[in-house]
Amino acid sequence: MEAVYILGGAQTDFERNWTKEGKNVIALLKEAVHDALEDVGFSLEDIKKLNRKNRIACCVGNFIGENYINQGHLGALLTEVDSAFYGVPSARYEAACASGSVALDAGITKIKSGDYDVVLVVCWELMKTVDSKTCGDILGRAAYYEKEAKDISFPFPKLFGKLADETIRKYNLNQERYLDNLARISVINYSNAKRNPLAQTRKWFMDYEQARHRGTETNPEIGGLLGVSDCSQVTDGAVVVVLANETILRQTGRKEAPVVKGYGHRTAPMLFEKKIADNESSVYVLPWTRQTVLDAYKRSSLTVKDIDVFETHDCFTSSEYAAISAFGITEPGKEFEAIEEGIIDFNGAKPINPSGGLIGCGHPVGASGARMFLDLYKQVSGTAGRYQVIKDGEIPKNAMMLNIGGTATTNYVYVVGR
Amino acid sequence: MLDIRTVTIIGANGTMGRNIAAIFASFGNTTIYLVSRTLEKSIQAKGRAYQSVRAESVKDRMEPRDYSQLEECVEKSDLIFEACAEDWEIKQNIHQMISVALKNIPKKAALNKIVCSGTSGLSITNIAQLYSEEIRPHVIGMHFFNPPYQMTLCELTATNETDRDLFSEVFDYTKNVLHRTTVEVKDSPAFLGNRIGFQFINEAMQLAEKYKYNGGIDYIDAILGPFTGRAMAPLVTANFVGLDVHKAIVDNLYENTEDFSNQSFVFPEYAEKLVRKGHLGRKAGAGLYKTVLHDSGVKIHQVYDIENGYYRETMDYKFPFVEQMISFLQDGDYKDAVHVLENNFSAEAELCLQELLRYILYSLYAAETVGYHIHAADDVMAAGFNWCPPLALIEALGGKETVKALCRERIDTFWLSQDRQEQLLNKAEPSRYDFRRFIRAKR
Repeated sequence: MEAVYILGGAQTDFERNWTKEGKNVIALLKEAVHDALEDVGFSLEDIKKLNRKNRIACCVGNFIGENYINQGHLGALLTEVDSAFYGVPSARYEAACASGSVALDAGITKIKSGDYDVVLVVCWELMKTVDSKTCGDILGRAAYYEKEAKDISFPFPKLFGKLADETIRKYNLNQERYLDNLARISVINYSNAKRNPLAQTRKWFMDYEQARHRGTETNPEIGGLLGVSDCSQVTDGAVVVVLANETILRQTGRKEAPVVKGYGHRTAPMLFEKKIADNESSVYVLPWTRQTVLDAYKRSSLTVKDIDVFETHDCFTSSEYAAISAFGITEPGKEFEAIEEGIIDFNGAKPINPSGGLIGCGHPVGASGARMFLDLYKQVSGTAGRYQVIKDGEIPKNAMMLNIGGTATTNYVYVVGR
Repeated sequence: MLDIRTVTIIGANGTMGRNIAAIFASFGNTTIYLVSRTLEKSIQAKGRAYQSVRAESVKDRMEPRDYSQLEECVEKSDLIFEACAEDWEIKQNIHQMISVALKNIPKKAALNKIVCSGTSGLSITNIAQLYSEEIRPHVIGMHFFNPPYQMTLCELTATNETDRDLFSEVFDYTKNVLHRTTVEVKDSPAFLGNRIGFQFINEAMQLAEKYKYNGGIDYIDAILGPFTGRAMAPLVTANFVGLDVHKAIVDNLYENTEDFSNQSFVFPEYAEKLVRKGHLGRKAGAGLYKTVLHDSGVKIHQVYDIENGYYRETMDYKFPFVEQMISFLQDGDYKDAVHVLENNFSAEAELCLQELLRYILYSLYAAETVGYHIHAADDVMAAGFNWCPPLALIEALGGKETVKALCRERIDTFWLSQDRQEQLLNKAEPSRYDFRRFIRAKR
């Protein structure tokens, strides 16, 4: 099997509102693809050349463009970016908020199998085309809509509020202490985003006092125990990742590039209630998420000790909380230690989300998996700029990400390293 | 990093005072004394300030005060910020009060304080003169833009007497703690952002008069709209800012600066007329534009008709060059949009391109005159106006050489000689900003 190298890629500025700019998905894709090709030093001519020999493919990640922009057949849409994409095999991959990861999975597999030399993984979502209530309803389709979202306003905050309830119940936590730790997670993500020039909230203000006082005018409760400060953002954005095999890597004149060292992919019960019933025999609140991490450790022959930096799916602070033990940073039930002791801080031993995560950097749902993956690439290649993690004077060797779809229904983990 | 724990904001009841207080209280995590003429006004300011940063957590850090307590506030503060009305008499009075307060507190404490003025146009040197020789090194101009939470620009001005070490500490503090786009500018009327911005806006206002038979105000806005790299058309902006504020800025620039574009700062006669009538803009219910609510509940957008002197419904201008540009921009085809602009020889397209080129040239000149580096103009226009910054616009228009050639063709050499145009453009460097986000696919 071929090794899979990451040559680079691009992320659009998540602060941008494409509806306000009057621009459509083609404008979004043109920018992201153009910037990614420029980043890796490819021209459109190179794409044509590879395609003549059928050595390039595209994998498009998107959750639900059908609802947000009334557009389907999203793989084929790339032909509108440039005629260089005429004839290039391209299809759309979907797994709710893990759509980016499933598109990456397809791309990685195509390189591994030796069928293609280069894969462009193009992931995007345009969410600001609708008002926030409609947006919340559309996102409800990532749950079991009929049973968990229909006629419910903002179903997802409510579901992840239930995850908070379940975490407190399962580990018999002090509710106030737990909620204060969720507030700390929010603040870490917002403050990390300040260093990221492409983060949606880089100019926003958030502090611990603001995050821990829920139910106020500026931080209303939105789902059970959770406040607005516990939520990720509604974001427009695209991310392109360029994957290649060794032949191409050599041709670019590079001796090395970050590689995909391992992955995990598991599907938990769709209904949140069944998920919770299913965890009874486990010490983990989200056992299938934990299993996905274990699979990735196994496939990469690495352990948590080897991972220098993490990106996780903090769609809500309660999901990042659960991710801490799923990664193996602490024992299940002891997640608070990693938060209270600063372990997951930017300068901590196991930093989570130096990018700002979904809360700080933003969450264009179909693009988030690819955004995390690109951030792992940036961290291990030393190209993360102001949000570069440095340990003992060195850039990280290995990085891990967790991307979930729905209420941690689809679980994806990748390990990227040098 | 400078350790600023307590800040006094004088003039806290004003929009700027209140919102600047929120910036210090939030990002700076400081205690704030809100000082206004009456305690009641300060209490009101406290009740609203947190809204601008969307965080009630800053409310507890604000303490309402009035002028009778100024001395106590000054004594307890690390930084004193004056945000009073843009009027020399008023500002003089306030700074004299601060100066007296500083004299009445122990000298050692007085010498550890920073005094800032948020003036948008008055001389910082003149303000510093109101203080004793020992305090003057601590006087700094700190100009925020409205609304400060969204517009991150902070123009910092030193005088000849300012302590340079302190100045650079304040620079780092505003940049790294308050998360401002901080730019050092010279003590020159209206500083840098407003000099560039109002050169463009006032010229648009003059052009509206010149082209009053074509439609005037809304005609010019249709030519220089969001598709030219801004969120709002220039005269919509003037209407939003208020014609009184606009007039104060351009009058100051006209009288107290001298350059090749000095005539651009002449406030047009029709606008004087509107100011006299109290038609100051959005805040007054009428100005260059006016929104009327029809009995049916429908909002009707009206514009001041310069020739006839009354408000009429705005017109839906459809210029072929604008329609084509927008169509390209919707799909992200920036080069094609620019190609249309540069190759359409209608009066409107020529006027549009000419104004963009004049904006670039004037910005480069102003950066050289009022700023300290070529990127200063980019920073102030992006962070203070949300306009496509000049260096980024050069890239959007096809690069330095293309812009030079366009200027040779399109720019009046009576306004700026060809040598000088070349000289300015030769200094242009690649922008740190991406032009694409500024150029909107909108009329």
